[in-house]
Amino acid sequence: MSESFRQAAGRKVVSRATAQQLGTVSHLLVTADGRRVAAVVMGKGKKASLVDWSQLTGFGTDAVMVGDEAALRQPADAREHAAAEGKLELIGRRLLSESGNELGTVDDVTFDPASGALEALHGGAHQVAADAVLGAGSYAVVVAASAGAV
Amino acid sequence: MTLLMTASEINGLPVVTVHGGEDVAEVRDVLYDPAAGRLVGLTLNKRGFLAGRCREVLPAESIHAIGRDAVMVVDDSAMVEPDAAPQEMAHPPANRNVLGNDVLTESGVSLGTVRDLVVVVGGAGEVVGYRIDKADGRPGYIPLPAQLAVSGSALVVPEVTESFVTDDLVGLGAAVDSFRARLGLP
Repeated sequence: MSESFRQAAGRKVVSRATAQQLGTVSHLLVTADGRRVAAVVMGKGKKASLVDWSQLTGFGTDAVMVGDEAALRQPADAREHAAAEGKLELIGRRLLSESGNELGTVDDVTFDPASGALEALHGGAHQVAADAVLGAGSYAVVVAASAGAV
Repeated sequence: MTLLMTASEINGLPVVTVHGGEDVAEVRDVLYDPAAGRLVGLTLNKRGFLAGRCREVLPAESIHAIGRDAVMVVDDSAMVEPDAAPQEMAHPPANRNVLGNDVLTESGVSLGTVRDLVVVVGGAGEVVGYRIDKADGRPGYIPLPAQLAVSGSALVVPEVTESFVTDDLVGLGAAVDSFRARLGLP
């Protein structure tokens, strides 16, 4: 069963210890190499908090489960602060080949909810396997030249 | 397929890291060695609304690819201080600028003046032709041999160049190969 970033947005984040809802998924932050989900971002700007993927006890179809409230943390480095501002959100990001040609924008991203590994990026006419992703940042998601047309 | 772009189209492109997806600079100007017929590197501007000149430069060897929409570099370390760049980039020779130069054939016929460079993109950017303003004022494109004589005010091209002048970039793409074949170049 694979999940998509669009489906995940807005999902409840619930503490397993207290059964309380701690927030909702704003978006998912991927690692700088663009291969895996690094963290779940809740809220935006100054109110944003993150839960590392390793802290999740389950990424379910109805709720994202964490151990307890202690799993939530503030953005720590420049990349996470940028993520809190929504600058690294993959959906809507430019899709750029490593040869410097734009392929379109990212419409959705599928991933494995068990491991957090990305499966594929979908953008317009293109579907790019996650292992063709070379990097993901605030300007673009860069994919191998062999992944798309040109 | 070979994609050709003019240097003025490369100016202003963002410089993007492959392993980061970040736009780290944008192209200010294309540095070109007319005698060798190749790009030496790019000078850079900072990104953003208050963008000023960026001190670091991007040597051609450090360019991952030049494309329609971006100049790609592997990471930040591709951009270096001018002192760390190859000599020809840190201290460009005075006769570097070919724009406005008269293009003369070996027999002394002027084909026009140089308006822009034509670069093969996809790789590090080989310069394969010039966009010229012809004597009648219309634009034209000429293919270049790998090397040619330049003085700073004029450059001398082989006689046969005259029959390879094309009206557009698409025509030039085809002309470059047959032109070089005629000259016995690879």
